[in-house]
Amino acid sequence: MKTESYKESIRKVVEKYGITHISTITGTDSGQTIDVMPHLSCAGIKITFKAAVPKTAAEIDTLTDVLPGAVMYEREVHDLLGVKFKGHPNLARLVLSDDWARDVFPLRKEYKVVRPEPIRKA
Amino acid sequence: MPEFSVIIGPQHPALKEPESFTFWVDGEDVVRAEVRIGYAHRGIEKAAESRTYIQNIPLIERICGICNVAHTICYTQNVEYLYGREIPRRAEFIRTIIEEMNRIHSHLLWIGIAGHEIGFDTLLMYVWRDREVVMDLIEEMTGNRVSTALMTIGGVTRDITPELATRIRRGLDTLEERTKYYEKIAANESTVLARTKEIGILTREEALKHCAVGPTLRASGIKSDVRAEDPYAAHDEVPFEVITTDTCDLFGRVVVRVYETIEAIRQVHYCLDNLPTGPIRIRLPNTPPRGESVSRVEAPRGEDIHYVRSDGTDKPARYKVRAPTLGNLASLVEMLTSKGDYKVCVADIPIILAGIDPCMCCMDRTSRFIEPSSGREWVWTWDQLKKYGRRRKE
Repeated sequence: MKTESYKESIRKVVEKYGITHISTITGTDSGQTIDVMPHLSCAGIKITFKAAVPKTAAEIDTLTDVLPGAVMYEREVHDLLGVKFKGHPNLARLVLSDDWARDVFPLRKEYKVVRPEPIRKA
Repeated sequence: MPEFSVIIGPQHPALKEPESFTFWVDGEDVVRAEVRIGYAHRGIEKAAESRTYIQNIPLIERICGICNVAHTICYTQNVEYLYGREIPRRAEFIRTIIEEMNRIHSHLLWIGIAGHEIGFDTLLMYVWRDREVVMDLIEEMTGNRVSTALMTIGGVTRDITPELATRIRRGLDTLEERTKYYEKIAANESTVLARTKEIGILTREEALKHCAVGPTLRASGIKSDVRAEDPYAAHDEVPFEVITTDTCDLFGRVVVRVYETIEAIRQVHYCLDNLPTGPIRIRLPNTPPRGESVSRVEAPRGEDIHYVRSDGTDKPARYKVRAPTLGNLASLVEMLTSKGDYKVCVADIPIILAGIDPCMCCMDRTSRFIEPSSGREWVWTWDQLKKYGRRRKE
């Protein structure tokens, strides 16, 4: 799905089938892009959309006016992958601490987990 | 009267979502509430990317102690979808049995906690004594009381012998009798009624709007349960009723959980009576094919959803977990906000927080009360806040 038509396409599906439930939004690093994947469900059917957002300009429209339940999930993706949701009411930190570096996103692939050095060597 | 801001939290070691709340209070009424989570963010999703699929089972199990079965079922199911393989029917039944026993233990735990929060500690003592029955059965079945370590990719690790099945049946009979007694208490005891009726209201529209899940959603009159809508394991065969109430308050949440416990006992009985014969697991190669998969499970607290992406190696390229409490946070903020005639008292905060079942049992924290106009501040522990709540209600 194109990022420009992301919100409108989801709005059409949501209105056509009367969907109210958004289970979560997954963000995944796919190399040059970040896949933003809202998981919706309706009457036992799971629907997953996928929009590839370029890493250099990680911005996409918010879904909060279509599905208000997306508020927390967008904050989570913003925190961990650095995708900015345009129009989100409050993109404050959700899971990372307030003093976490602004341009470090732990779920991006370039972020490597480093084992801390032991304080006292045996 | 100046507005106070009341901060509750954040340390909360038992759950993936420990929370810190800030309440703006006008006298006794909570005007608005704000939530801040992430104090125990352990980076499990990142850690899952550096472990193999088999090594991830114990990791995923530790997302939540109480819902461990729901998370591991969701994980193993998801990986099995990647392989495109179905597991033996007997394994699916054993998964359903342990899942429902997990639900019984979780719901009984919650009923005890709810009793404690409203100052009815006798209920806590009785319910937790009876909960030991199911804990012992889980231990006998899996070797562990809490983290069951029963799931594996392709099935389960332990079988149920006929002798064990007899002991489980006997234990469940005791539990059923006791749960029916609690059902009577919940419906008639004046303490329970006074502290739960018309408190923590979440209307049907609000529940839908904020995408509430699990018993919180069902107590608002919405018939939604992953086990019924999108059956997994043996839920396509095991009959059960989706319990709903339309009271939309805490009382409804108590009632839904009590009846769900009884339903869960019935489901375990059905599974034991109709347990198919055959193997309990299939062997699968270490590396699943490339692909993506989403799987949902009805955990005791509501819908639990996992996503996996495989890039053809023995480690997942991405693993995403959304535990039910995160789904209920937006609704919780709604319940904690006074609107029109509906007033939320400071005294009701503990029980409303506990109402969505976020493992608040471990939340024994200090709360700071600040008066913005004078800068005066003081600290109350969670216990003091609870005692204050009980005093106010007497």
